[in-house]
Amino acid sequence: MKLLSTLFSSALIFSASSSLDARAVVGEAAPAFTLTDSQGKLRSLAEFKGKTVVLEWTNSECPFVKKHYSGNMQAQQKAAVADGVVWLSINSGAPGKQGAVDGAGANAIIKANSAAATAYLIDSSGSVGKDYGAKTTPHMFIVDGQGVLRYMGGIDSIPSADVSDIPKATQYVSQALAELKNGKPVSVPTSQPYGCSVKYDS
Amino acid sequence: MQWLTAIRAISGVRGAVLSLGRAIGAGTALIGCALLSAGISAAPLSREHLTVELIAKHSTVVPGASAWLGLRLVHEPHWHTYWRNPGDSGLPTKLRWQLPDGITASEIQWPAPDRIRLGDLRNFGYEGEMVLPVRIEVPDNLPAGSQVSISLDADWLICKEECIPDKATLAIDLPVTDQAVADARWHTLFEQAEAGQPLAMSWQGHALATGNDVSIRIEGSSLPDIEGLDAFPIQTQLLSNGDVQFQRDGADLLIQAVRNEYFSAAPSTMDVVLTQGQGASRRAWSTTVSWQEAGTQAASADAAGNSSTPVANGYTMHSLALSLLFAFLGGILLNLMPCVFPVLSLKALSIAESAHAPKAARRDGLAYLLGCVLSFVALASVLLILRGMGQQLGWGFQLQSPLVVGALIYVMVALGLALSGVYLLGAGLTGLGQSLTEGQGMRSAFFTGVLACVVASPCTAPLMGPALGFALTQSAGAALAVFAALGLGLAFPIFILGWLPGLRRVLPRPGPWMNTLKQVLAWPLYLTAVWLLWVLMLQVGADASALLLAGLVVFIAALHGYGRLQLQSPAPLQRLALLGLCLLGLSPMIAVIRAHDPAPGATTSTHQAWSMQQLDELRAEGKPVFVNLTAAWCITCLANERMALSSDAFFNQLRDHDVRYLKGDWTRRDPAITAYLAQFGRSGVPLYLVYPRGGGEPELLPQLLTPALVSAALSRAGSETSATDTRSHP
Repeated sequence: MKLLSTLFSSALIFSASSSLDARAVVGEAAPAFTLTDSQGKLRSLAEFKGKTVVLEWTNSECPFVKKHYSGNMQAQQKAAVADGVVWLSINSGAPGKQGAVDGAGANAIIKANSAAATAYLIDSSGSVGKDYGAKTTPHMFIVDGQGVLRYMGGIDSIPSADVSDIPKATQYVSQALAELKNGKPVSVPTSQPYGCSVKYDS
Repeated sequence: MQWLTAIRAISGVRGAVLSLGRAIGAGTALIGCALLSAGISAAPLSREHLTVELIAKHSTVVPGASAWLGLRLVHEPHWHTYWRNPGDSGLPTKLRWQLPDGITASEIQWPAPDRIRLGDLRNFGYEGEMVLPVRIEVPDNLPAGSQVSISLDADWLICKEECIPDKATLAIDLPVTDQAVADARWHTLFEQAEAGQPLAMSWQGHALATGNDVSIRIEGSSLPDIEGLDAFPIQTQLLSNGDVQFQRDGADLLIQAVRNEYFSAAPSTMDVVLTQGQGASRRAWSTTVSWQEAGTQAASADAAGNSSTPVANGYTMHSLALSLLFAFLGGILLNLMPCVFPVLSLKALSIAESAHAPKAARRDGLAYLLGCVLSFVALASVLLILRGMGQQLGWGFQLQSPLVVGALIYVMVALGLALSGVYLLGAGLTGLGQSLTEGQGMRSAFFTGVLACVVASPCTAPLMGPALGFALTQSAGAALAVFAALGLGLAFPIFILGWLPGLRRVLPRPGPWMNTLKQVLAWPLYLTAVWLLWVLMLQVGADASALLLAGLVVFIAALHGYGRLQLQSPAPLQRLALLGLCLLGLSPMIAVIRAHDPAPGATTSTHQAWSMQQLDELRAEGKPVFVNLTAAWCITCLANERMALSSDAFFNQLRDHDVRYLKGDWTRRDPAITAYLAQFGRSGVPLYLVYPRGGGEPELLPQLLTPALVSAALSRAGSETSATDTRSHP
């Protein structure tokens, strides 16, 4: 009986915990996806095989995103793309929620911010965001050329909405990209993501 | 800030400053909103979706006393700010104080948070009106009549779904008086903040992380019921922010959580805040739990392994083939261990019954083997599943469950009564007169095998310990193979007897002596029931055990009646009455299920209860330590204690060598002991360890102790030079 009740309650535990925990795990294959970009083109993770891919969850109305779009994010995008890295900004906001955009809206934001990402992907169902367990904006992931997740977490080491903290912080994404480029292991493969919540539909 | 100081310098009169401050506050609140810059306010400041104010519990401060200040937060409905660990998103509120010389401020005394749900995201924070209290210490040299001016830079993030980071500079002026004057406006708010303070408890807690699961066991007095309970880790990146599950295990509180996906390094401890209920009746506690990684324990034990240790006592075993061999040999040796005594009489009977029917003997031997192996595999499967779910269990777990022990008491008594001839086993109510069918012998042999596995195997035999330790770190297939090999070994001697022709010559032909033997063999079974009852008493206490004993009397009456009815053909009503009586006899099992554990292992003058902390402390002092990990259901352990660990000579030697004796009782579930056993590649008791004086790796003693062996080990450990050479002279 005791064993049975333990078994039973353990089963309950598994069914009850519905938190947004990623199926994405550092060191394992990153979840595959196909999404439409702001130009209406279908983009998939698979098409970038062989290249390092950065995924950036974004919401232009989130103060934490604004903090990094004061220049830091664009500079990292430019440097990465110049280095042959693919940079995908992803918006998982559900239609009607703060910061949710369609293709035209996304293009306007890209222009206004002078963003330099490879593409801006629209995930209005939130399914890709949930696959990766994207919780905050910004929330960053790096997938290597073999499709293995190598980093997930915050963009840098100081969780704040204050622009003046950026120069003092360790920029985890740039650091990991440099390490990957030099064939070194990623020294900080996970960090606590910080920011606004991703505005999923639920 | 200089501006603020300047204003303060100008204003000498208290009332003037207060009203000036308020005026400035009100003014800057407007300007602040307009300019989106931080205002300075001694009055409530309305910001986006939030009103903030620096308040004091008393409107004056007293020299040499502490005083409570606080950041009052009035959230718009559905908006929240964050706790120290904000959860999936968000940021904790930050305070930076500007205090006059000599005054110090504590950290925020965080009230327990709420779990705030945003779809699948979980945040920890506050809603409604509340205060973040801070204690300030006022120096005793402040003259009464003077005044203290304090200002605060507060930084917060307020979110509903959208988030707004914001900050403000707030100020308060407090006159210095001899007597504190309570500020009635904030009385309730501070009372609530105080009620929301987690009460620091001296509970013992252990978190064990296995893969993605983190199971936390908290032991101690006044543990809350699980109704309405919630738990929040203070540190981030340890536990997933999703819901946690609670369970009571006897007196202990079990928390099942999931590892945080941003977990990066194992801490040594984790602070947990527990809350219960909502609103005014809400209660909160805090406790610190140790953090152990199931995987790295084995790894560090590997690293600590010493090549000069004999392989049978080695910490780990690396090859499956070797493990299978050791498990098989260990199973055979198990037949020679005291542990197997309870089922000895059943086995003796089966040998005697079938000695003169070689064909039946072989068939029954096979059934016995099958019973042994299958129940080993079944028990191991349950063990693996439960461990997979994060339960911290080892071999012998079945007898750690009072329910199993209780059920075995009934089984033993029922079997004993059958042997005593009170009723006929398996013949059914109308079956008297029929001879025992062939299937009957096989079935009883099979269940003898099952009993041998359940009752006799929990003690580990030589060779068996390392093999099981290995099995539990392997894939399910490999683990089950090792357990099957163990069952094969346990059953092997009896199985092989059926093939020996010599036996027939030694034993007399079946006759009346067989009945006498049966009746004699019933008595050891009753004694086994007594032993199991003693184990049960240690597990559930005297009350539930006495109830079970009473139930047992009713159960015996039921079986007695059953035996009488077997002689006639009973009416349906009689059958029903019998069934009712039987159920009544079994009903105390409910009390056994509901019983709470009695007090944990006691410390006596001769030994102390084992705990990792106790051991670490003694090791840090460089004391030699003798560790005995035992369980009431482990007869081998009890035999060793009788033989080698209870004589005056043993205690004298402990004293002479200044060796400390720690005893860990695994009769009931204890994840700390399970984890400690795992450090030595073990998953069962007994385990005897002798730590040498001045540090160094412990020496593992064999599962069967002799006084001479213990004596030699103690003198090695106690000698000053022992640290280096004990291991090479086992």
